[in-house]
Amino acid sequence: MAHARLTAAERGDRRFAVLASAPAVLTIAALFIYPLLYAVLLSLYQLNDKMPKATKYVGLGNYAQLLSDPDFTDALVRTLVFCLFTVLGGVAIAVGIAVLLQPAFRGRNLARVLLLVPWAVPPVVNGIMWKLVFDGSYGVANAVLRELGIIDHPIQWLADPTLTMGVLIMSEIWKLTPFLALMTIASMQAIPSNIYRAAEIDGAGPWSRFWRVTLPNLRGTIMFLLIVQSMWSIKVFDTIYVLTGGSGGPAKATTTLNFQAYLTTFSYLDRGYGAAQSISIMVIVIVVTLLWVLILGRKGKAAS
Amino acid sequence: MAVHTLTRRSAVLGGSAGIGALGLAGCVSPTSDRATGADRRGSSRALAPDGSSLEGTEISILDDNTNSVFKNGLIQRFQDQTGIVVKNYEMANFNDLHDRFATSFAAQDSSVDVVMTWAGWSAEFGQAGWLQELAPEAIPQDLIRPALDAVSWDGSVYGLPKFASVQTMFWNRGHFADAGLEPDAAPQSWDEFVTAAKAVTTDDRYGFCCDMGNPAGAYQNFLRALLLAGGELYDKDWTPKLDSEAAVEGLTKMVELLQVHKVMDPSSLQITNASDLIDVFAKGNTSIVFNWPFQWASAVAKGAETTAQTTGNALIPGISVRSASIDGSEGYAISTFSSNKQAALRWLQFAAGAEAQTRIVDDEGWFPVSKTVLDAPETTKTLPVVTSYKESTDYVTKRYGTPWSNELDQLLSAHVFAAMSQKEKPSDALKAAQRELLPVVEKYLG
Repeated sequence: MAHARLTAAERGDRRFAVLASAPAVLTIAALFIYPLLYAVLLSLYQLNDKMPKATKYVGLGNYAQLLSDPDFTDALVRTLVFCLFTVLGGVAIAVGIAVLLQPAFRGRNLARVLLLVPWAVPPVVNGIMWKLVFDGSYGVANAVLRELGIIDHPIQWLADPTLTMGVLIMSEIWKLTPFLALMTIASMQAIPSNIYRAAEIDGAGPWSRFWRVTLPNLRGTIMFLLIVQSMWSIKVFDTIYVLTGGSGGPAKATTTLNFQAYLTTFSYLDRGYGAAQSISIMVIVIVVTLLWVLILGRKGKAAS
Repeated sequence: MAVHTLTRRSAVLGGSAGIGALGLAGCVSPTSDRATGADRRGSSRALAPDGSSLEGTEISILDDNTNSVFKNGLIQRFQDQTGIVVKNYEMANFNDLHDRFATSFAAQDSSVDVVMTWAGWSAEFGQAGWLQELAPEAIPQDLIRPALDAVSWDGSVYGLPKFASVQTMFWNRGHFADAGLEPDAAPQSWDEFVTAAKAVTTDDRYGFCCDMGNPAGAYQNFLRALLLAGGELYDKDWTPKLDSEAAVEGLTKMVELLQVHKVMDPSSLQITNASDLIDVFAKGNTSIVFNWPFQWASAVAKGAETTAQTTGNALIPGISVRSASIDGSEGYAISTFSSNKQAALRWLQFAAGAEAQTRIVDDEGWFPVSKTVLDAPETTKTLPVVTSYKESTDYVTKRYGTPWSNELDQLLSAHVFAAMSQKEKPSDALKAAQRELLPVVEKYLG
């Protein structure tokens, strides 16, 4: 295919475009590409700061070690459980909230504004708040349950591995669902109202309208929400850090993949192996994203 | 349909980008002196005072939030005495400091000259080559040995201690009297302790409380129980003895406190630091704790439910031995990347000196690191718990700070927790922990 020759003015425009975008490109290269490539490089080395003399090139050795490392595989399972609830549960709750806030009613705008409050709370504050709520001795949760006569003795929420994971899941859903719901509401507003009217005329009830009109029209949005929520859930860190006093406990119960990478890098100072874990997390995020695109993208095409 | 062909221009652009990126990544090899910081650490010789004039030299200090005496007057005294300017003195939460130090050291940051340290970090950061080793001439002669151990690893001294700390037992005399116990009689053995803890446990409070809600806390509580049962954590070659008879007995006794005798507050499993434990005792919400000396200052402080009259202090009752305890001394060390090492050394010596030590005892209730200050009659008068501290020197007091302390804390805490919640038998839990720890130790010791 022959390329049309550029005029002098067009070449000037292109040069200007390159010059104008250069600062942004260089900044991204310095802040994103360099660290990324350096992390890849580190992951090919045995590099533990506590053993500086033992630093050596090990190729893919760190990645091979991941497969047989129970700490990593256990963290992978915990991350999977966490994601299952926060991604599927979070998106389902978001769609539910959006459906509730879609029809016009008195105070709808206020409700939508209030919906954003949890999302506006900084993650660290969110963690501290839930830690105070579920404190075994002075927490609000125990006080309420005791007042209602449901429990006689305080529950040690953050001392039980299963309960702590439950608290973590709840706090993450509480924090991120408002954003997901807001996106869903915006998307629902773009669905033409005449489709609903036509469905109503055809005798479709509320459930049928939701199932056959709303959901299919939200497919693209839901795919986006599943992707971003999956990314956030796989990379969860701050809430775990605050909720568990920086330990990922009790008994490693909340040590997810990202937290394990943090422990390896910053607590054990094993930067080579920690980099391999971080790169693996990035790969997992990409794979999960592609998976959602494959599942929902294909279904979308088939439906159309 | 758009057709993309490989042109000379796109090939040149793509190739340049690839080469540039690889060049960026490759410009600092992980094995180079620049990456390891070897080129910035200067001489590897131990630091000794050189007598040079330090007037106007500036230093920065990153401390934990344990001691406020430095901010409240001692920094000014140091500046007046030495002419050195403390440009920046920052206090941060202890639990956050490790990662801050690690990041700062790994980045070869020279903006911090002095860092707070304790046994674990002295070993870890010392072995990493991030702390400046001190020469014997830099070390005051009258330092207490366990306090000096907290800033040493493998025969090298990496700093000077700022206070000494050993856990002792505190009990609420009022609760003892209410339960029909002799208020002044401290339990002398583990059985007496359990009997007392049962007697003071009521519907509203538990007799005993501890802080094992995070890995470091779980390790400390386990280690104390192990020492009380007459055990040791390592043999002379640093081979771990986590599954020894004494270790199993110690952990079993801890489990019994929670699950059999039901005298341990279940919230002990989620309390993550000694300060929170101090509050529980000072508010009268438990009757017996094994805690650091600053428990005394909080227990007798204005606003506390407890007072000097109602707070008892004595040795921790042993399981197989009369007593034993764990060390929690802290100190200061100099970053190897500091450009003001002589001035930083003067700060270390000032903090370990008589004036600062007397203030730390008087104002904050920590034990002094100087024998001279410890033996002064005023010290015992100001801080009655010093009597128990002196008695404790007749018994084993250890901390076992090692470069692998963090790994040990993490792996051990999971098994200690499983044992405490009766998901594993203490013997099985400790066998598993021993299995996991052996390769870690081997990795570091080769």
